[in-house]
Amino acid sequence: MTAFSTLPQDLQRALDGARERLGSFAELRYADTIGSTNDAATELALAGAPEGTSVLADQQTAGRGRRGRTWSSPPGAGLYLSVILRGENLASTPGLVTLGAGVAAADAVLAATGLPVRLKWPNDLVMGDAWKKLGGILCEAQGRDALVLGIGINVMSSAHPPDVAARATAIETELGRAIDRPSLVVECLSALRALAGALRSPDPSALLQRWRDRAADGWRGAVVRWQDDNIEVSGVARDVDDDGALIVERDGRRERVIAGEVLWQRRP
Amino acid sequence: MNLDDIKDILNLVREHELAEFEYERDGLKLRIKKAGQEVVYAAPPVMAAAPVAPPSAVPAAAAASPTAIEPTGVDLAVIKAPLVGTFYSSAEPGARAFANVGDVVKKDQVLCIIEAMKLMNEIKSDCDGEVSAVYVKNGQAVQFGERLFAIKLS
Repeated sequence: MTAFSTLPQDLQRALDGARERLGSFAELRYADTIGSTNDAATELALAGAPEGTSVLADQQTAGRGRRGRTWSSPPGAGLYLSVILRGENLASTPGLVTLGAGVAAADAVLAATGLPVRLKWPNDLVMGDAWKKLGGILCEAQGRDALVLGIGINVMSSAHPPDVAARATAIETELGRAIDRPSLVVECLSALRALAGALRSPDPSALLQRWRDRAADGWRGAVVRWQDDNIEVSGVARDVDDDGALIVERDGRRERVIAGEVLWQRRP
Repeated sequence: MNLDDIKDILNLVREHELAEFEYERDGLKLRIKKAGQEVVYAAPPVMAAAPVAPPSAVPAAAAASPTAIEPTGVDLAVIKAPLVGTFYSSAEPGARAFANVGDVVKKDQVLCIIEAMKLMNEIKSDCDGEVSAVYVKNGQAVQFGERLFAIKLS
């Protein structure tokens, strides 16, 4: 099992002050250095940890993105947080979970820092006209009733490798000032608790409307490319449907895209 | 589905001497299992519209139509897709597949990943045994209930 340490004092104070608002989402484990917060949270989930239990690290030595990609996580540069959600049918509504996770992360960044971050389908956090990547989310289902939701947010520009500087950004780069990190952690946990509630509501369509409200400018009408049965195809993005699928017009027909990744080709 | 439909299904199950039959659609789930029979798992016919692998690698007991089931003397479990998504045979591009034909697997061992809208689902074996068929290719789109693997029980 992963060895955790005591929370940094400023973070402990921030958590204590928000305990009522966070409920079970105040159950935060911390490590200065960890392999991957998602792997550590998965261990906890498999050992039966309740919903809201989360893992935060200052540095990840094996931070993961989608399909085995590396998520650059140098010490002190970013927020690396993974949380456990529980529910029998969570994995059967993947779109609500992943798009909702994007909304939660964007809400948290806005609440803690004032930065109006936007979303690129399904759930990348992006900034500005160039849609520079500020953060990403990795959702992994664990068994029938648990999900681990990992959030990586660039806080300082050192969070991302220099060679992606043209495509990536960080909160402090955008704001031109330092932020209060403990409040970013607390706002993330609070937004994730709200997400857990929204996923249980009988009509989760409000979640998707909030995703549309937060979607990056210019997404409707943009050309997207994706893999369909190992063949690359393209179409024009039109909407997201009630399941969170991307609705794309392709050869005059509307099609649902549920691929994990689409490449957006936007006009400069 | 009404009572007559169920009677028809029961008659078909009897006629074709099926040990077990499973049907799922629009929230309705019907499972018929003959008492005291060796259990042979088969794909539900409603899912048979999905493309299937060439029969060369497919043991007779797991062929596309339940009418084609023949007693083989071995117990086969068919692992099906619990959700719609993209099938990945390995953890990342270029990595070794989680499960190849001939591999001996344990219960709860990861067999593949199905991704839907960036939610990764590890699909685990529900039994100990040997992989006797892999029905889908890496990167292929799979439907709910589509057959992924056949496991010869040990």
